[in-house]
Amino acid sequence: MDRGLVIFLGALLTFASSWLGLILFPFWQLQTEKPFAAAEGDAPYPQPLAGLALAGKKVYQANGCMYCHSQQVRSERFGNWWDASGEHRTGADIRRSYGLRRTVSRDYLHDNPTMLGTMRTGPDLANIGVRNPSAAWHHTHLLNPRSANAWSVMPSFAYLYSRAKVTGARSDKALSLGREWTVDPGYRWRPSAKEWDAILSARGPEILASALAVRPGTQLDPATDAGRANLLEFWLTTPEENYQILPTAEGEALVAYLLALRKAETPLPEAKE
Amino acid sequence: MTDATAPAPNADARAKSAGERAAIDASCRGPVLFFAASAVFWLLVGSVLALLASIKLHSPYFLTGSAELTFGRVRMAHLQAVGIGWSSLMTLAASMWLMCRLSRAELPLPKVLYLAGGLWNLGTFLAVFGILRGDGTSVEWLDAPPYAQPFLVAGIGTVSAWVVATFRRRREPHVYVTQWYILGAMFWFPWMYLVAAYMIFWSPATGVVQPIVNWWFGHNTLGLFFTPVAVGSAYYLIPKIIGRPVHSYYLSIIGFWSLALFYSWAGMHHLIGGPIPVWLATASTVGSMMMIIPVLAVAINHHMTMRGHFHRLRYSPALRFTVFGSIAYTAVSLQGSIESLKDFSEVTHFTHYTVAHAHLGAYGFVTMIFFGLLYYMVPRLTGREWASSGLIRLHFWCAAVGITAYFAALSIGGWWQGRMMNNPDVPFANIVIYLQPHLFARSVAGVLLTVGHVAFAVLFVMNLMGRGQPRTGGPTYFVEPKA
Repeated sequence: MDRGLVIFLGALLTFASSWLGLILFPFWQLQTEKPFAAAEGDAPYPQPLAGLALAGKKVYQANGCMYCHSQQVRSERFGNWWDASGEHRTGADIRRSYGLRRTVSRDYLHDNPTMLGTMRTGPDLANIGVRNPSAAWHHTHLLNPRSANAWSVMPSFAYLYSRAKVTGARSDKALSLGREWTVDPGYRWRPSAKEWDAILSARGPEILASALAVRPGTQLDPATDAGRANLLEFWLTTPEENYQILPTAEGEALVAYLLALRKAETPLPEAKE
Repeated sequence: MTDATAPAPNADARAKSAGERAAIDASCRGPVLFFAASAVFWLLVGSVLALLASIKLHSPYFLTGSAELTFGRVRMAHLQAVGIGWSSLMTLAASMWLMCRLSRAELPLPKVLYLAGGLWNLGTFLAVFGILRGDGTSVEWLDAPPYAQPFLVAGIGTVSAWVVATFRRRREPHVYVTQWYILGAMFWFPWMYLVAAYMIFWSPATGVVQPIVNWWFGHNTLGLFFTPVAVGSAYYLIPKIIGRPVHSYYLSIIGFWSLALFYSWAGMHHLIGGPIPVWLATASTVGSMMMIIPVLAVAINHHMTMRGHFHRLRYSPALRFTVFGSIAYTAVSLQGSIESLKDFSEVTHFTHYTVAHAHLGAYGFVTMIFFGLLYYMVPRLTGREWASSGLIRLHFWCAAVGITAYFAALSIGGWWQGRMMNNPDVPFANIVIYLQPHLFARSVAGVLLTVGHVAFAVLFVMNLMGRGQPRTGGPTYFVEPKA
């Protein structure tokens, strides 16, 4: 027989075996899966994403969030660790509150693409919408993660926010953050010693009055070093008067998506252990 | 093993076969150099993107202002630049040239391959810059925006057809193992790419079928596209350079068929503990463990071929890069088999340990062998030797020390990252802080690798511009061998 034909048939058969076994067979096995309803009339789980959350999935995809955040909870029996008394334990994912149970294939029925993730530079996000349901927290965290956790290495997503002059009343959507995070969005801002002197000589009494109103009894005398430092600390942690930070459409969509991530919270019969 | 030796060729036969090789190289010159040069270009782009991503992981304020350069996008663009840019273009260049050489046939209609190379480069360009613009898909290994895919399909389709056509026009009746590997790769890759693109993008499968297809594709890209051509290159280069036949024909056959069967089953070990049917992960663990057979077959074969000739590593750049790559192949494959065990994967999954493993494979093995191939092939295509032995030394040491440091830093960091993650009493902050020095060391290693790439790119451009001795004497060595 011709050598070329042997190689062709061999390459075909070996690869076809894995194609059938690893791709087509699971495809057939899983294609009949349906959403789950505990009782008749209950809204079935999972629900497809819609509206803003669906748009947010695109933002999550485009910015490669899944390269640091997985969306899968491993089993109660998975992983080994030893507690303070030296006893052998398992199931760190669930103890870290990534979910009430392990995730199973049904949790991902409507995911497209299914972003399980392969790396946990940051924590798992399978149930982040339940674990941390505060939109305001997510916005301030996305603008600059160091505003929430000083040790964080997550990038700032300041490009999903805009800094706008306040005209009339502050917007409901404005982030409530001190000026240290908003003067130069994405960075932590501090005035130089000279700038602080200039600010104090221009608006010192006004800043002092508002500081005294909030923190009576603190050393706030601008004539002393400690007072100046405390005053600066106070001033940096109060919002800017004339500017506000607003999420862009993409920023709002991303947070809507995060809040819609509620995997591993609804009980499923196949996930019992 | 037979000890049959061919009769010593006479001067006439030598001149005839030298003339034949020159004609083959002349037919390959344009397209193969085009593929190789653009591969080196994408290697440089990929290195810059890699450095950006690496630095951002320990210094989050580095270039934080722009959407285009946010970590997630740069990370995706890096993988596309080095995956479908550098590694794939080199795989195709190697396949074309080695197939011509071993079939003793000229490349048919070489001009069409400029078009194929152009299409593939355009696809890579759209992938890398499309991702930076915000069109990345977050499907690992397949992050290229959908509008890049048709160009890649057309490019690979053309090259595959040309390689098969060259094989069918072969004048050499004996089919060498390198040709087996290349034919396999040229057949498998279009298949897996079309299946993956169809089931993830064109007609998306539901839920977890997507990651299943994703990792079948991702793992097979390394295992059944880059690996066979890189192993095939080593099978060609080692005997060629030291001037003796490969140790065992039978071992090479065992190696080929066991790789074809077992590697294609190994991909699901990326999903151990994940929400997929348990039998799938188990099947892949079996496939991964069985990979020990082809890996040892190749390792023994190359080692026995090299035996008695290790001193030549001191002189020949092509040989030293190739042997480094072959040793890394053995190491990374055995490590991969162990990583597929559940108890091991429990610790290393979701950590930088996997990143270290991936780079030992894609860089320590594949990239190093392709460097070896380029050091051997390019002078034969351009007719010029390499202009600077010093730059080759710089390239080798930057690459060798760089990838070793990279691997060590992330393997150690990743292992303890996994151990701490598995212990819920350890706050997440501690893990992030613990990893900082390891990630910083990785950036330093990345700088070394990049310096090596720049040195190589300079050598390459000098060679293309006609700098360097005409190819009449011996090659450019690390150090001149003693007579």
